[in-house]
Amino acid sequence: MNAAPRKITLGEWEQRYEQLHRAGLREPSYGGRLGRHVLLDSDLRLRHLRFDNSPAALRLWNFLLTENQRLAQARAQGEKLVGTMKDLGTVPVMAYSLPGVRAFYPDGAWWTPCLMECSDGLLRQAEKLGLDASFCPVRAMAAAFQNAEHFPRPDLLVCSTGAVCDDFSAIAQRLEKMGFPIEWWEMPRRRPPEPDEAGRVLPGGLSAPEVQVACVRDELERVGRLLSALAGRPLDAAALTAGIRQANKIRRTLAALRRTVYGAPAAPLPALEMLVAEMLAIHFCSDREEALRVLTGLLAKALRRLEQREYVVAEGAARVFWVNPVADLRVMNLLEDWGGRICGSDYMFTHALDLIPEDLPPLEALARTALSDPMVGSTLDRAHRIVAECRACRAEAVVVSRIPGASHCAWEGDIIRRVVREETGLPSIELEVPPISDPLLPTLGSRLQALLETARSKR
Amino acid sequence: MQVFYTSPWVPPELIKAHGLEPRGIWFADDLGSEPLPIGAGVCAFANSVVRFAERHGDAAVVFSTHCDQLRRAFDAVAGIASERRFLFNLPATWQSTAARRLFTSELERLGRFLVKLEGRAPSAEALAETANQYGRARRRFLEAAPRVPARAYAEAIARFHWDGTTVLPAPRESNKGAVPVALVGGPLPRAQWHVLDVIESAGGRVVLNATEAGERSLWYAAEVPPMPSAETGLPPFRALRTATPEDLARLCLDHCADVFQRPNTRLYSWLQSRLTSRQVRGIVLWYHVGCDLWRAEAQPLREAFGLPVLLLEANQTASELPRQSGRIEAFLESLRGQSA
Repeated sequence: MNAAPRKITLGEWEQRYEQLHRAGLREPSYGGRLGRHVLLDSDLRLRHLRFDNSPAALRLWNFLLTENQRLAQARAQGEKLVGTMKDLGTVPVMAYSLPGVRAFYPDGAWWTPCLMECSDGLLRQAEKLGLDASFCPVRAMAAAFQNAEHFPRPDLLVCSTGAVCDDFSAIAQRLEKMGFPIEWWEMPRRRPPEPDEAGRVLPGGLSAPEVQVACVRDELERVGRLLSALAGRPLDAAALTAGIRQANKIRRTLAALRRTVYGAPAAPLPALEMLVAEMLAIHFCSDREEALRVLTGLLAKALRRLEQREYVVAEGAARVFWVNPVADLRVMNLLEDWGGRICGSDYMFTHALDLIPEDLPPLEALARTALSDPMVGSTLDRAHRIVAECRACRAEAVVVSRIPGASHCAWEGDIIRRVVREETGLPSIELEVPPISDPLLPTLGSRLQALLETARSKR
Repeated sequence: MQVFYTSPWVPPELIKAHGLEPRGIWFADDLGSEPLPIGAGVCAFANSVVRFAERHGDAAVVFSTHCDQLRRAFDAVAGIASERRFLFNLPATWQSTAARRLFTSELERLGRFLVKLEGRAPSAEALAETANQYGRARRRFLEAAPRVPARAYAEAIARFHWDGTTVLPAPRESNKGAVPVALVGGPLPRAQWHVLDVIESAGGRVVLNATEAGERSLWYAAEVPPMPSAETGLPPFRALRTATPEDLARLCLDHCADVFQRPNTRLYSWLQSRLTSRQVRGIVLWYHVGCDLWRAEAQPLREAFGLPVLLLEANQTASELPRQSGRIEAFLESLRGQSA
């Protein structure tokens, strides 16, 4: 049953669900009413969010919010679970190349305090582990491992280290001391090749010296051996090549979705659903095939709305490029309420959006992809990509969202904003968004509104 | 030319062998307690290094990736005397050939950087000779560690990191009533050495300085298999006849015991033997504002060694000194109470 696109509350979704159900809505096995996640899983934050009213969005949310249950089912069916940490997008491509293996990011627990409005107690529990509020909310991960109430304990834990955030690295190290063995793999700090060094082009257009590519390739080969041992079958080039092809299908679909939504005269899908959709790229929300179907559904919906000139955010909203994910999902709603819309993003994993080269040996391709991670190189590299994307998507303003306690946020905001200002003249602000931002809404609101007004006044 | 380095795991012998002057930044008298920028979360030490690099545009500064904040601080100084700025990629792992190759390639790259600074590439024999000088000096400092006063020892090691001078302090006077403690943690720059005086004047005795450029940073090529001498517990020094960047990389990685390593088990092993042999009764965990790596170790240190741990934040202003002193006094008082 079609309805004019708009954002609706959880309560309104109850009625909408009834309508859709009566009209013959067909759902996957994890489908159902959104409200059940509040009742059964204490995802209390949903009561304060507003959602797109399409069946495609319903499927997206149900997919996201059932991940832990789906992982538990996979475990019960004898599948092997790999907890992969920090690299955001590379190791899962390898893991899903093996039948019977699923990879997920325990790091994703950083959103649990937001979703459960801290009723989960994870942040409090993390403090008891010595990880207080001076650390990034990803400290919730350590507590989630300890209480075993969220995701199943993985059969194998791998974590990239080296050029990673100190707070994350410290939290992962704490995890290991709590009795969860970790296989660490080295990620060098990316730099451009020097004049006398052999260089390799990376996805996204940057380059790195061969010595760094070789380092990551060797490390991924080692990770591959661990995955093979877990799966009981070799992770050979043919399997990896097929896995890369599948991952690229998802990346292409997501790229089309981003182009459609961010490039449209007004937004055919809301910022919040787009943030969640982008997150699917990093580990496919623990089901690669279904992630593709979810994204395909969203793309079809966005294209249909665009064709019919139906939008969820009115034309005239200020076009904002957003940097870093928000710890509180509600802020994405609020940006639109206050007169903005997302026209481009760098949620810290642009390397999971770029296509993995298919014309290279698979480990070489994955090594180059891993090295194109915006967080392992110079902040200036990241800033220049942001500038290029701001130009391409005709951004009118830039928001750098700070993650409380995250070590990268201490330095990068100033650098990114300086480069954006010097090269584009766009107005920008830096905002810190805690897992529950309600007490800060007046401040966040006034800062964002001032930015949006400035952006509109420059038209 | 002076080449300031910010991690003891960037071997100064390589710089010296290139005919340049390595300067461990911890001894610099203007590396100090600048007020932190408004942005929350900035590491005080990384911030100091940035300000230092800005002031010393005519000198070379080698940043290191052993700390994420220092790695990102390097991005903040990009464009300012960039031909004299170098970011050394210290691997966090040591177990794999990939890590060794990465370290070796970084030493080779550092060598090329030094040549561009008008250094000259040393022969394998010359590099070995310089490495031997540094190695012997480090071993002498290690021998002296249990016997010398903490403040004088910190000064002597910092001076060694500064200009290679090896002046060992006189042995400490016996003070049996003092509580033996270990100072463990991040960098202890000259401007913060007063913390050692505060500990000792409060009735403590720092028998182990395991801060970044303290005793932990003293590595040398040892005889293999190591046969520790009965007197010092240290394996004999092994002179190198030739040395390449690969040799230095292997030595550094074999001896590195630091908090940034993954896993950081070697730091704990290193501490274990010394805490036991020196009968340490409490640990003062020294960290800078914004340093996640060390802050996160407070609880694991307590759990691993069963010792009381005092978290001590490097003070940024003189006005914070009384608070810092008060915390140290209370900590030592509680330790004395335990022994009573």
